[in-house]
Amino acid sequence: MKQIELKICLGTSCYVMGSSHLHELVDMVPSRFGDIVNVVGHNCLGQCSKNLEAGGPPYVQVDDEIIPDASIEKVLQYLEIKLK
Amino acid sequence: MTRKQWRKQAAGCPAMFIDIDYAQVKKYNQNAYGDYFSSKRVPGRVIAVLSDGLGSGIKANILSCMTAIMLLKFIDAGADIKKACEIIMNSLPVCKVRKISYATFSALDCRDDGETHIVEEGNPQFIWIRDGQVLETMPQIVPSETFSKRKMQLYDLKLMDGDRLVFCSDGVTQSGLGSPELRLGLRRDGLIDFVLKKIAVKPDISSRELSKTVVNFAQNTEIDRKAQDDISAVSIYCREPRKSIVFTGPPYHNGQDGKYAALFKEFTGKKAVCGGTTSNILARELNTPVNIKVSFTSGSLPPPMEMEGADLVTEGILTLTRALEYLESPEVVVNEDAAGQLVRFFLESDCIDFWVGAKLNQAHYDPSLPVEIEIRKNVIKKISKLLEEKYIKKVSLQYI
Repeated sequence: MKQIELKICLGTSCYVMGSSHLHELVDMVPSRFGDIVNVVGHNCLGQCSKNLEAGGPPYVQVDDEIIPDASIEKVLQYLEIKLK
Repeated sequence: MTRKQWRKQAAGCPAMFIDIDYAQVKKYNQNAYGDYFSSKRVPGRVIAVLSDGLGSGIKANILSCMTAIMLLKFIDAGADIKKACEIIMNSLPVCKVRKISYATFSALDCRDDGETHIVEEGNPQFIWIRDGQVLETMPQIVPSETFSKRKMQLYDLKLMDGDRLVFCSDGVTQSGLGSPELRLGLRRDGLIDFVLKKIAVKPDISSRELSKTVVNFAQNTEIDRKAQDDISAVSIYCREPRKSIVFTGPPYHNGQDGKYAALFKEFTGKKAVCGGTTSNILARELNTPVNIKVSFTSGSLPPPMEMEGADLVTEGILTLTRALEYLESPEVVVNEDAAGQLVRFFLESDCIDFWVGAKLNQAHYDPSLPVEIEIRKNVIKKISKLLEEKYIKKVSLQYI
């Protein structure tokens, strides 16, 4: 199966809105889903300047999809559904 | 502005940079420094005064501090250095007990083109070093009108790239006085020996390091390392400036992105980028990817990033704000986080050119964001003021 890339935005807006706490995903995701998901921090994804209606920062990008208002639970739930 | 003009302005640095710093040790058992050093970098020149107050401790501290600051203000206000020193020399009172003047001083006025005027009254003669050799110059002697025993020496020098000057208080030249090896103390010859050896070992030693080693050496020369007098050393090093640029914030007009990215690439000094969007723009225009070095840091700042062609890439406003905090603290704390690396980048440069993008990041004006998010221009203004005044760097700001 193709590896999924999970990018956590570390831009200013995302960082102050809580993406700094999302670093727990680095350990949490592999222990739950194995090596299929690769979690990386990423430079500003540029979502904060265009996507304000869908939901605010912090943003997480899973392959091509953006998860707004990301929290650890939300991201894990999303992966749960995606990988089912 | 044409590209050529821009490059000239961005280079905005003189051909020679005057690196000046000092170090001190208090007299043994005293709780205040009896010597005082003060310097100021004004456009085109550096002025500095080292004063040694009579006695030691608080009294000497007050005397030397007053002398140094008055003299510095005097020269800074536009007075000719010779005239200013003469007036101070003629007005310094005489101690009733010891019958000597309250404070001695060395004053320096050094221009970017190397033209230098030095006035000394009572302090040990400075050392002028070029290519590992000491150059001696004959001073012009100006006697005091009001005090018969007082006179000042006037030197006019033309410094060149690579030249060094070392000033010290008599605590250095008299260190070790009375010890079996050095009955008359280190003296000027001993100091010259030491400094030449040090420079031979490390030819590009910074002024900060050289003045520190001189002071340490003088203290080690003292019996039991107990300084018998206040020890101070000032070092000046004329060298090619270390130029760097800090690119922060996207340019106001999107259409200009390519132009600034090209200028950034062409620049031949050290380069830093502060800002997520800014680094994305450079990555897009220069076609080089931006990578995060380590995914996450333990600190409370986003980690630094990596990009080919830039020495440092960090997040923007949070890192800049933290760097400002570090620069403001009395002792420079350099943590390993992105802001610490940025501070080190600043301190390792002489001429720093800030390119400040004037475009506003709309996302930062969301009222739900924490108040810590400041306005970039304000933070940069504060940083540049600090770098100029506290860290004596040459700073230029360009809003693009």
